[in-house]
Amino acid sequence: MNILVCIDDTDNIESRGTGSLASELADALQNNGWGHCRPVTRHQMLLHPDIPYTSHNSSMCFTAEIRPEFMDAFTGFAQSYLQQESAAGSDPGLCIVDRDRLMDPDTLMAFGRKAKTTVLFKVDAYQLAERLSVHLSEHGGTGLGVIGALAGCGLRLTGNDGRFRGKFQVGEIGEQLTVADLMQKTGVDVVKNLEGDILQDDAPVYIGKNVKAVLQDGRSTLLVFPEPRDEAGEICWQTCTKQQLRGY
Amino acid sequence: MARVDVWEQTLSGRKRFKHGQDSYGLAAETAGQCGAFVNDDDDEAVCDDDRSCYNCRYRRWTADSFECLKP
Repeated sequence: MNILVCIDDTDNIESRGTGSLASELADALQNNGWGHCRPVTRHQMLLHPDIPYTSHNSSMCFTAEIRPEFMDAFTGFAQSYLQQESAAGSDPGLCIVDRDRLMDPDTLMAFGRKAKTTVLFKVDAYQLAERLSVHLSEHGGTGLGVIGALAGCGLRLTGNDGRFRGKFQVGEIGEQLTVADLMQKTGVDVVKNLEGDILQDDAPVYIGKNVKAVLQDGRSTLLVFPEPRDEAGEICWQTCTKQQLRGY
Repeated sequence: MARVDVWEQTLSGRKRFKHGQDSYGLAAETAGQCGAFVNDDDDEAVCDDDRSCYNCRYRRWTADSFECLKP
């Protein structure tokens, strides 16, 4: 089974972040031998005075291949885990989508996109979850995290939203690697410039301070920008800064 | 030195950064003078500055700026 797992609103201002919990859930799924996970992505939703988010209103999602006989065990584990590990005062929500049985992915993706522009309500999330037969549950507080959890699944499903959690350690700042080296060291699927052009394997790329991937066209994508360092007039590239990636 | 007018008070009594979400230099300068600065999770960092209000655990983003939640 191919599943999407998303959690939201598990933290408070002093606690560890939701991304940390998402990664631990993914680790547990793998360490229990239930399946194999792909990296966690962060999805930004609307910032609005009527939304009671902690500090940034983002949810964390990962995909996994899970053996069907372990689906109930994982779901139960995830629910207990959120109940135990979520911070005081948080409003955690959990969404698990069976992608193979999802009859209307477009509606789920539309819900995700809508959460970036519109104030949504718990009833909206529960109604859609019921219609799509996806797991949606709340685990403390007001449970408002169900909105972001469902929306995060929709956004991950689009294949075109969010940054991957964590950053790559691929050498020293200012070091030059080829695209092929960079892909081999990071495991990303593709290296592109900000205009969306895929770089050739032998193109040189300077390593910036933070090397992070984003989700584009369903692939982990390392974005680079042109850097005028080469006196011969060749185009040189540098990995994007966090400022450049903040909109993803 | 950071300017003294980087903050304004909101109706709810919070400190709101007056310079929006793209004043990286000013946000770094302000954090440099703040004894309460704590880095947020790296996943929530939005600039490469080691110390910036934009990357602080106590900033709460709003639609056009952020509020400082440190009492």
